[in-house]
Amino acid sequence: MRILLEKLMINYPYFVAVILFTIGALTVLTRSNLFKKLIGINIMESAIFLMFIAGGNIRGGAVPILDEANPKPLYINPVPSALMLTGIVVSVSVTAFALALIVRLYQSYGTTDARRIAEMRNEVTEG
Amino acid sequence: MTATITANLPVFVVIAPLFVAFVLPTFARRMRLVESLVVAIEAIGLVGAGYLASIVLMQKGIPIIYSLGGWSAPWGIELEVGSLGAFFLLVVAAVSLPVALFARGNLTEEVGGKERVTRFYVLYLLLNGALAGMAVTNDLFNIFVLVEVATLSCCGLVSARNHPRAAEAAFTYLILATLGSALVLGGIGFLYIITGHLNMGFASQELGRIWQDYPHVVWMAASFMLVGFGVKSALFPLHVWLPDAHSTAPSPASAILSGLAVKGYLICLLKVLYIVFGHTLMQEFAMHRILVLLGMIAIIAGSLFALAQDELKRRLAFSTVAQVGYIILGLGLVNMKGLTGTLFYLASHAVIKSSLFLAAGAIIAATGKHRISELAGIGRKMPVTMAVFTVGSLGLVGIPLFSGFIGKWYLLLGSLDAGHILAAAVIIIGSVLCAAYLFPIIRVAYFEPVPEENWQDPGMPQKIALILLAVGVVILGVAPGPFLELASRAAIELLVIK
Repeated sequence: MRILLEKLMINYPYFVAVILFTIGALTVLTRSNLFKKLIGINIMESAIFLMFIAGGNIRGGAVPILDEANPKPLYINPVPSALMLTGIVVSVSVTAFALALIVRLYQSYGTTDARRIAEMRNEVTEG
Repeated sequence: MTATITANLPVFVVIAPLFVAFVLPTFARRMRLVESLVVAIEAIGLVGAGYLASIVLMQKGIPIIYSLGGWSAPWGIELEVGSLGAFFLLVVAAVSLPVALFARGNLTEEVGGKERVTRFYVLYLLLNGALAGMAVTNDLFNIFVLVEVATLSCCGLVSARNHPRAAEAAFTYLILATLGSALVLGGIGFLYIITGHLNMGFASQELGRIWQDYPHVVWMAASFMLVGFGVKSALFPLHVWLPDAHSTAPSPASAILSGLAVKGYLICLLKVLYIVFGHTLMQEFAMHRILVLLGMIAIIAGSLFALAQDELKRRLAFSTVAQVGYIILGLGLVNMKGLTGTLFYLASHAVIKSSLFLAAGAIIAATGKHRISELAGIGRKMPVTMAVFTVGSLGLVGIPLFSGFIGKWYLLLGSLDAGHILAAAVIIIGSVLCAAYLFPIIRVAYFEPVPEENWQDPGMPQKIALILLAVGVVILGVAPGPFLELASRAAIELLVIK
């Protein structure tokens, strides 16, 4: 038990990432409000970004800018941060596209609730 | 000049569609020019893919490696056109050319408005570039970026029709697909954190040395990847978005989504499983058993759902769920014949399903009817379209001399080799069910009284596109030579790696 707790203490960013991921996934799957679903997606993606960046971090490491005159003993790994920059760009474009779709759905159904939209659509097809 | 073009061909086939996609909106006012440009770039892509495939075939298994920006792996990003890459490139190019040709017809009515047609083509070419990229890339993070490009353009294509249901289907698809990409990115993250490499070859070597130290992380990575790509490629319990998305999209989009986009994610899954994890690790973690089980469930469930649909495009969409099951099942067989069968089936389903969706699109455009029960006598009124539909159906069921048969035959042999008697039975039952949901359409079309309405075959470009695809189905079935050789070589390469 104690070893487990110690491991958790050392690796707390991963722990936070898992919690965030769960919150995000639950929000996406259980909420019927379209905006909340989108927020859930964003939380989930942030969790993954956090995990990546935590994976590249080295405690006590310096910013990875090479200074010949005065080299540091340890540098953090810059690759995950660079990758996550791409990831953030992708996540922003997904968000923008989803918001545009929500606007269109609101214009045609007058609501942003997925359940109401499904009900209204079924009424249309039956009637 | 030719030497430069040849040397840069692997990156050219990916960049060219992307580049044209971004240039296209400048010509938005001149519809004919836009359409011709798209068809021209698809034709060039087909020539390029064919040339690459012939080089790969001649070189006997030595892949063409291209280092982007001159940085060699593991520092730079590497493109690799081996047998697998050349095979999938050829499939992508061979299917997207006829579909682009078909789109020239009544796309304006389907998406509503001329300026929307250009946007449709932009998304179409972006998807095309992303799929070509998936075929050639050898880098894990590249896979994520290409998957995202493909997902966003697929969602755009689904919402191309100006209809609230299209927006709804696109939103559901977007949310679930993004959930899938987040999982894929998570899987890539786990692999990167324990191996320190993004290049698939190097990651695989490192993983082979250290996996015993991190069994849980390997488990997590594999399951994240499987669920992530499973959502995107509509693996059975995760298929909920597919029927709506594929049946509300405009017909050329449905064809490309069902025929190619789903296959792109499956190729990514195959690359991750067989190149990064390798077949020994897959067997060590019993992933192959899970894949076979999921594949069997998908075949049966997808076919049963398809049987219950009366709407033509929805039936075809559910049939895609069942066919994805075959491919996943083949991935789990981990032997020469099974893998060859999977790859060949993937190609044949790409051609067949796009011909079926295009024929369905032509029928719906001509008659305005969506339900199978309303299509009585259509075979007499639209002979070319219905003939293509019949050829496609025969191919999908797996009648000998049509392309589906060879794929299913190899899958059957592979599952017997692997000792999965149940899987072999499911493959045959799947074929019977497939006949049960496709043949009634043909019966209704040919053997019911001919209606009074003046329904006609579509125009010339669409007829050519349909016939090209039908010829493809027959050629793959009668003379599969080079395709089968590429597929079996790819299977050998994937199984030899470790």
